[in-house]
Amino acid sequence: MKYKDYYAALDVPRDADLEQIKKAYRKLARQHHPDVSKAPDAEARFKDAAEAYATLKNPEKRAAYDELGRQPAGAEFSPPPQWRNEHDAGAESFENMDLADLLAAMGRQHGGAQHSSMPMHGRDFEDTVHISLADAHRGTTLSLNLRDGEGERTLEVSIPPGVMSGQKLRLRGKGDKGRNGGADGDIYLHIALKPDPVFRADRHDLYFDLALTPWEASLGAEIEVPTLDAPVMLTVPAGSRSGRKLRLRGRGLANSRGDRGDLYATVRIDVAATLSARERELYQELAGISTFNPRLASAKEKPHE
Amino acid sequence: MSELHLEWQWLDAGEALDLNELSRACEMSAAELNELIEYGALSPLDPNQPELVFAAQCIAPLRTAGKLRRDYDLDLFTVVLMLDYLHRIETLEEQLRSVRARDS
Repeated sequence: MKYKDYYAALDVPRDADLEQIKKAYRKLARQHHPDVSKAPDAEARFKDAAEAYATLKNPEKRAAYDELGRQPAGAEFSPPPQWRNEHDAGAESFENMDLADLLAAMGRQHGGAQHSSMPMHGRDFEDTVHISLADAHRGTTLSLNLRDGEGERTLEVSIPPGVMSGQKLRLRGKGDKGRNGGADGDIYLHIALKPDPVFRADRHDLYFDLALTPWEASLGAEIEVPTLDAPVMLTVPAGSRSGRKLRLRGRGLANSRGDRGDLYATVRIDVAATLSARERELYQELAGISTFNPRLASAKEKPHE
Repeated sequence: MSELHLEWQWLDAGEALDLNELSRACEMSAAELNELIEYGALSPLDPNQPELVFAAQCIAPLRTAGKLRRDYDLDLFTVVLMLDYLHRIETLEEQLRSVRARDS
């Protein structure tokens, strides 16, 4: 069995009191928590600190650990004979046990609340998956790589149609195996939608920018627009101003009830960067006869308070 | 060819679960969940019913707050505060997604 220096892991003296130990642990946990640190060894360092804290915060386990004396980290050692007597595993498994597992097992036996033969739920698996809009709409199949006590395994799962960004799903009993008759763990998936080059999703509604020429916006037009299915013809009414939203009912994302959200085309009026001589002439003619002034129109609509 | 799994539970307002199921899903005891109810941080669908039933959308924030509590060895009242902030974060994220979709 390899010795681990839990005091060094938390960077506290061997006579540190519980408050010092808790403070040191929380500081390290904050520094190396996988939610905070993106360092490749963050999870391992967090686990090392948590393992040390699990023993040192418990007076009984700490006393048992202190019985081992001070040894170099990683040094092979034999636990005191009474540990073997107190532990109900066979001699072979005892020698192969990790120090943390052994101390955890001792804690369970001494505490009485959680005996090692009690049913224990399997560990849950939780992850965020990024899927495309099309896959959210139609449903898709994913391969999840799960790492548990039995090693790594792949689970094929089918994501139902109708999920949206921020959606959470649970698959019961497919996580880590339970022990001593305990239930198997579950799988929790958080859905995130990948950015789409055309559409933006707001729950089950979709939005996209519809670029129009000034004359299409002014005169109205029939424009072919993309949808998640096939392109459709959209009637742009005459006088469509920039920012106006044109709705295509039921062309958004599928939802879990089998309905669909709506698709909105947001009008953006665009102009050519360069003009031919004739185009310039026509624009100049229009400028000469038009009485339309968008500054006056918007000032009337949005008076300053 | 491996087995394909389809039996998803949608963790939203449309799904409900009892106290035992919630306790299992959130890795918190029934006593701890009852304390969260007393603090007003967790609400059963109908508090007047003898058997408490909850909307499944409370699972994800409870799991997140419960994990942080274990990871940092915090007390239960911190979970109450975290649930409030997690709810606000989720609401704001949803509003941000909506604004970005509509006005980008």
